[in-house]
Amino acid sequence: MRWPPALHVPLADLAGERLLAICSALSLAAVLAPLVVLAGLRHGVVEGLRELLLENPHAREIVTNANRTLPVATLERIAARPDVQVLIPRTRTLSSSILLQNGADGPSVRVELIPTAAGDPLLPVEPGADDAIVLTAAAAARLRVEAGASLTGRVARSLAGQRESQAIPLSVTAVAPPAALGREAAFVTLPFAILIEDYQEGVAAWRQGALPPPQRADYAGFRVYARTLLDVPGLDAALRREGIEVSSRADEIANIDTVDRSLGTLFSVVAGLAGLGFFVSLGAGLWANVERKRVSLALLRFLGFTPGALWLFPVLQAVILSSAGALLGLAAALVAAAGINGALAGLLSLHRPICLISLPIAATAYAVTVAGALLVALLAGRRAARIEPWEGVSTP
Amino acid sequence: MKRVIEARGIGRQFGAGADQFTLSLDEIVLEAGDCVAITGPSGCGKSTLLGLLALALRPAASPGAAFSIGGADALSLWHRGDDRGLARLRAQTLGFVPQTSALLAFLSLRENIALPQAIAGRPDPAYLTEIAASLGIAHVLARRPAEVSVGQRQRAAIARAMAHRPPLILADEPTASVHPAQAEEILALLHRLATETGTALLMATHDRPRAEAAGFAIAPCAPSGLSSSRFAWAGR
Repeated sequence: MRWPPALHVPLADLAGERLLAICSALSLAAVLAPLVVLAGLRHGVVEGLRELLLENPHAREIVTNANRTLPVATLERIAARPDVQVLIPRTRTLSSSILLQNGADGPSVRVELIPTAAGDPLLPVEPGADDAIVLTAAAAARLRVEAGASLTGRVARSLAGQRESQAIPLSVTAVAPPAALGREAAFVTLPFAILIEDYQEGVAAWRQGALPPPQRADYAGFRVYARTLLDVPGLDAALRREGIEVSSRADEIANIDTVDRSLGTLFSVVAGLAGLGFFVSLGAGLWANVERKRVSLALLRFLGFTPGALWLFPVLQAVILSSAGALLGLAAALVAAAGINGALAGLLSLHRPICLISLPIAATAYAVTVAGALLVALLAGRRAARIEPWEGVSTP
Repeated sequence: MKRVIEARGIGRQFGAGADQFTLSLDEIVLEAGDCVAITGPSGCGKSTLLGLLALALRPAASPGAAFSIGGADALSLWHRGDDRGLARLRAQTLGFVPQTSALLAFLSLRENIALPQAIAGRPDPAYLTEIAASLGIAHVLARRPAEVSVGQRQRAAIARAMAHRPPLILADEPTASVHPAQAEEILALLHRLATETGTALLMATHDRPRAEAAGFAIAPCAPSGLSSSRFAWAGR
């Protein structure tokens, strides 16, 4: 005997009943596989929808609709909320456009000015200076410029019947990723946006090279980014309660939450039913095994197996059977998932598998299976340890 | 001579209601090399007596009772409910030949015979081969119990009882399930191996003439009433 008898004997027993053992493992796998596929579907669909939103920097964005007069104090209060990541004020939409020219004969385009700030989720970089801008991909394409280019900005106003205009030298710090904004626009610092607004509305004369500090009593609006996707619906509702009209993807996000919860309930019900059957069949098998081997177990006890060694008999077999069953079930589920993902590719316009059996799902399935088997085996083992040794050698 | 087993004042009730039967073991002392056959009619408690001495049935103890095997106090192990201690004492000091061989079906004969050696922590493949040869089963050691004859199974059970060199072998009607022609041979083998190895051998049998012929001392299990019997053996 290569191993101690407490290990050798249960292993030899299992090997001796190879066919039965394989059947037990297969029946475990048959129950487990659909459960794992179901868990993978739920995970895949919900994660897919969530990622689809997360890939979009606008997902956590809430913007004010109309031009209003919002006191700085209100903005500061909103910015301080725990569910807010960053709040960026904006100027009046009518007074926030500028004509950009690429050289005297080059292309020109009228762009919307969008104030940005540190931590703007739409941009990987900040303009860096008040006379620097980040162009949207559409604007850069129209102007045929790249990062590092110099442009001329032109603003005009009519003041007391007099038409004035101003040329402003600007540099392009970067071109924003296409997902940031589809329109032709330029991201600028808040002081620059205020300067343009003040000039166009005739509030101030052009002050070359002396930008005003961004001190204002009120702003026309803002865009705000929730800390997480799940914060969006709450933040959206809170802003509306304050009487601020906003647009966001709150509905879409709430939808995912509902899908997640619905699938979760569905999964719990199916998994609960199947899991119950799973453990009952597993338990009955292990228990029946102990009953069937009663005489052998009694004999082992008579020969000097300690109660612990007898306990180990069904426990060791359960761990091996359930491990084999769980691994087979996972393998079957992975094959099924591959089939599902192949057949339903592109559904929900997800660029990822719809049935996603992640490592945590697989690990949980394995652990729950083995732990359940272990629990039943411990009960069966207790029974085994209590068998009278005399039963093993006496003839009734 | 070294006392292998010594017991007095223990007993056991078995059965229930009208069938209840009481076995009282007044005294038994076995020394190394003793070969004793317990004889008596069916139902007089021969098997129960072996179960008591094999530490497999809990004894009832009268005042002044004593029970030791190989110098270890078995009675106090029972009192303490020390299952591990009892298991260890069984594994170290006892060999048992049951009426039907009671081999583990999923192990080969060799593994079955090696099991008591492994449990006692005394693996000895050479000795295993030696006793298998003297029992005439060396050529079938690799087979499972289902693949050999009843007689070969019974010989394997004898080999298993001896494999770990226990000071005491108990045998419960070891020839009951074999052909009568083999019975004499098996008894003779048991007697010879016990004598050669200095093992104390206590056998329950209903076949007194064969036991006597094989050289066993006879210790009758005597009915002492309608529902009780007594047993005593304090040496030749």
